[in-house]
Amino acid sequence: MGNPCRAAVILATTLMVAGMSACGAGGRFVSVAVIGPMTGEQAKQGKDMADGARLAVEEWNARGGVLGRPIELLVGDDAQDPKQANSLANKMWTRGVVLVIGHYNSSCTIPASEIYNLRHMVMITPASTNPKVTDRGYKTLFRVCGRDDQQGMVAARYVVREMPDAKVAVLHDKTTYGQGLADEFLRNYEKMSSRKAVYYGAIVKEDQDYSAVLTSLKAMGPDLLYFGGLYPQAGLLVRQMRQLGLKAVLMAGDGTYDPEFIRIAGANNAEGSLLTFMPDQEKIPGAQAVLSSYRKRFGEVGPYSLYSYEAMNIGLAGLGQAKALDGLKAAFAIHASSFQTVFGPIRFDAKGDVLESPYVVWRAESGRLVQIPRQ
Amino acid sequence: MRIVARIAALLKNRRFAAPASALFFGLLALPFMGLARASILALAVLLFRFAALFGRVPSGLRIPRGFKRTRALFANLPAPAKRSAPLLLAALLAVAAFMLDPYTLDVATTAGIYALLALGLNVVVGMAGLLVLGFAAFYGVGAYAYAILNTHYGLGFWTCLPIGGGLAALFGLLLGLPTLRLRGDYLAIVTLGFGEITRITLNNWDSLTNGPNGILGVAPPSLFGFSFDHPRHYFLLALALVSLSVFFLKRLDKSRIGRAWVAMREDETAAEAMGIPTLRLKLLAFSLAAFWGGVAGVFFAGKQLFVSPESFNFLESVMVLCMIVLGGMGSVPGAVLGAVLLSFLPEVLRGVEEYRLLAFGLAMVLMMRYRPAGIWPEAHRVLETREASRG
Amino acid sequence: MTGPGAELLQQVINGLAVGAVYALIALGYTMVYGIIELINFAHGEIYMMGAYAGIIILSALLALGAPLGLALAMALAATLLLTGLYGVATERLAYRPLRGASRLAPLISALGMSIFFQQYVLLSQGARDKIFPVELSSGGFSAAGVKVSYIQSAILLVATLLMAGLTLFVNKTRMGRAMRATAQDPVMASLSGVPVNGVIAVTFFIGSALAAVAGFMIAMYYGKVNYLVGYIAGLKAFVAAVLGGIGNIPGAMVGGLVLGVVESLAAGYIGGEYKDVVAFGILIVVLIARPAGILGARLPEKV
Repeated sequence: MGNPCRAAVILATTLMVAGMSACGAGGRFVSVAVIGPMTGEQAKQGKDMADGARLAVEEWNARGGVLGRPIELLVGDDAQDPKQANSLANKMWTRGVVLVIGHYNSSCTIPASEIYNLRHMVMITPASTNPKVTDRGYKTLFRVCGRDDQQGMVAARYVVREMPDAKVAVLHDKTTYGQGLADEFLRNYEKMSSRKAVYYGAIVKEDQDYSAVLTSLKAMGPDLLYFGGLYPQAGLLVRQMRQLGLKAVLMAGDGTYDPEFIRIAGANNAEGSLLTFMPDQEKIPGAQAVLSSYRKRFGEVGPYSLYSYEAMNIGLAGLGQAKALDGLKAAFAIHASSFQTVFGPIRFDAKGDVLESPYVVWRAESGRLVQIPRQ
Repeated sequence: MRIVARIAALLKNRRFAAPASALFFGLLALPFMGLARASILALAVLLFRFAALFGRVPSGLRIPRGFKRTRALFANLPAPAKRSAPLLLAALLAVAAFMLDPYTLDVATTAGIYALLALGLNVVVGMAGLLVLGFAAFYGVGAYAYAILNTHYGLGFWTCLPIGGGLAALFGLLLGLPTLRLRGDYLAIVTLGFGEITRITLNNWDSLTNGPNGILGVAPPSLFGFSFDHPRHYFLLALALVSLSVFFLKRLDKSRIGRAWVAMREDETAAEAMGIPTLRLKLLAFSLAAFWGGVAGVFFAGKQLFVSPESFNFLESVMVLCMIVLGGMGSVPGAVLGAVLLSFLPEVLRGVEEYRLLAFGLAMVLMMRYRPAGIWPEAHRVLETREASRG
Repeated sequence: MTGPGAELLQQVINGLAVGAVYALIALGYTMVYGIIELINFAHGEIYMMGAYAGIIILSALLALGAPLGLALAMALAATLLLTGLYGVATERLAYRPLRGASRLAPLISALGMSIFFQQYVLLSQGARDKIFPVELSSGGFSAAGVKVSYIQSAILLVATLLMAGLTLFVNKTRMGRAMRATAQDPVMASLSGVPVNGVIAVTFFIGSALAAVAGFMIAMYYGKVNYLVGYIAGLKAFVAAVLGGIGNIPGAMVGGLVLGVVESLAAGYIGGEYKDVVAFGILIVVLIARPAGILGARLPEKV
């Protein structure tokens, strides 16, 4: 360094770039980002995340922004591809973003968070439930949804309590999310019931025909099949179970919380299927005002819309408390305080997870998903 | 059968051709696109056909004249200047590295990785004429080799670069030995199957590859105690690797081996009759291509600091193929150009990114029909097409 | 009664149902390969579009108030026609202009068409699953712990009928003879007055229509389809075609059924995640050890 010629060149280029992108990170705005799968199979979930974050940013801007500046929201599309998630994380860093709401898939969140940690950017995920997201002890990572080990525990507890004599089989879709969740369920179930699962196996996500695996499974005579995976596969599974005459109850996780699950399975086939998800947002008294302004602005509220909304609120509040556009300081502020949200007060533990496990059990009843009251 | 002939005759009638094809495409699109958009499509087809009737539509894809002129300028340079031009370009890019913003450099580095892949695939597809559809497998082998050797045994980037390449080349050799006797289209399918098997194995072999979770915490490259942590460092490394590869492959292309490949590509039976050891040459092309794939993989792992099986799927193989098709099969500068163009395309196409793959698919079809030699055709091919057009 | 025997039998039956669908798709590959020696990569997408078209047309008919039976029949007929024409258009636009070009050119063009169709459906129909508008009975025939659902029986029946019909068509009709002549020597066939282009178009039409039937039935069987299913199904069907000896019509049927059963057994007894490895492994072994396929080649290699 210290070469005046090069310094001049760099200065000139910086000025030029800054001048060209007048609305970029030039300093008038505080840039924050939301990243998720905006295209592809999960485009709807991505849009829910983006809309939730946008609602929060609009409300903050109406109140005068953060750090005395208006907020600019950048939307990134990782297309559920870890590689693109990684390169977007880099891109957001180069654009001076210190707060990212994202990602949706744990398989994207985990590699991208390596970069957020390296570049001291705050990342709050509204939807990635794999324990590894926060278990690496990084200071700037948070999550407002639950974890798969909590989810697996809630599911296992339900099974042990409600179906104590059930023969349990476990299946997953061989993805970061599905395998992780299935393993957590299995671990908790075997610990709580001191029984073994009668079957543990995997299917191929891209495949449409699971009858071979289900036939082997049928021979074990299970009463409950726990599936770690997403709704398109879960719907097909329960449909094919019934076609083969396998009457076991299907139980799954938050990835199955989608009305499409019942449409794919067929209402009759899906009847009685169980899944774990967050409590019904329609029944939270404090959420009604936000829900109605969301509906007015964007239409139907998705399962993760409110989580994305609150993640953005928490992140911006952290920036405000840090009194600087500095990810590390904001992360310290978020760790140190408690936030009032539509879900009730939220505090984070040392890892960046919410203290309370939010999961409850839902059931498919006459073509709809209904929350089973907490006992 | 008579009906078929009559329909064909009717369609050949100039008066009916335009409205008939408009109706045809409109009907095809109707269930998928809905009435409104299908009608627009039909109208567009009608206009296009009428325009074609009056000879207003060019029969081939034209390359922008500016680009053509630049290429001609380059081709007409005196020999010493021509030889030093790539060097000059590399030096210019190295200087530019200090002026460009980190994001552009990051994209350029990705372009560099794709350029390495395209250069490798070009050896086997372009030069030797063997269609390989599972190239991502070699890329994956290289990437996982570095990730595993680094996280388990602490081996560094520079040690793993040749190891990853060599391992991929060995894979290529093992796959090539039994399969290279197959004819072209069977070979394409076998390599596709091999690519899928590799990806599925990476996803299922949990104890070695950590399954779908991939491998985290891969160390970045470091040089004399200086660790890479800025997009600029990666860009310079990519530039160096691509430049070296271009230098080497250019020479290979002009060597005895390169010419033998061309002979084999154009007519295998004749080549064999001339005493060219085709099987050995095919194996060489295969393992060389795999080597480059592996090197690109090691670099990819060193840049992403993370590998997972999804990164090595069939679409990745197709992307690289698309790059060399666009650039010009068999042409070394074409491969680099194709990689750079397709890597920067999404950046240019902000807002219409969803149409990117649609455009790629269409481009592959159109390129084959109108410009099979690509935008920077290789020297042999320029001659061939000239002869062919003379008839 | 259940037991290892019943389980095995059930696996075989499941495999046959899937295999019948592979066989229908494989017929299209094999017919096209037999006649112009092209691996039509876009064929898997044609199957996928058949499934989409079936669902879209059926939904529209039901919305118009047609009774279920009539709607199903009309939708199937319309889907056949439409998808067949997609096949013809593909040939006309992407393959015919390349006849006589290098061997790589049509392959790459076919790959391009495959990507194009996949994206075309994604962009026009969205990424979410398309759901079959009627829920068909999940009942079936049960005996000794083995269950054959009504839809599985329907798939097996329809596939058998179509294959028998195709065999008759190819062997007994004028058009069939023209197809065989073109497959053997297009130049000679053309000199003897066979309209080669027309014959090729008809081949594409029939192959695509068969794939459309497969798509329609699979949409009924699984109750949904999405834009990605064509790739894997197309590959599997290609494996089936190679297994039976590509270019060989009875071979494609046998290959499809064998592949379906082997896959089903592999998934049932080895593990679901290795199903595809087994399928591609078979492909590679067959190509290396017996490139002519199970039933042997009908056509020698042309030089």
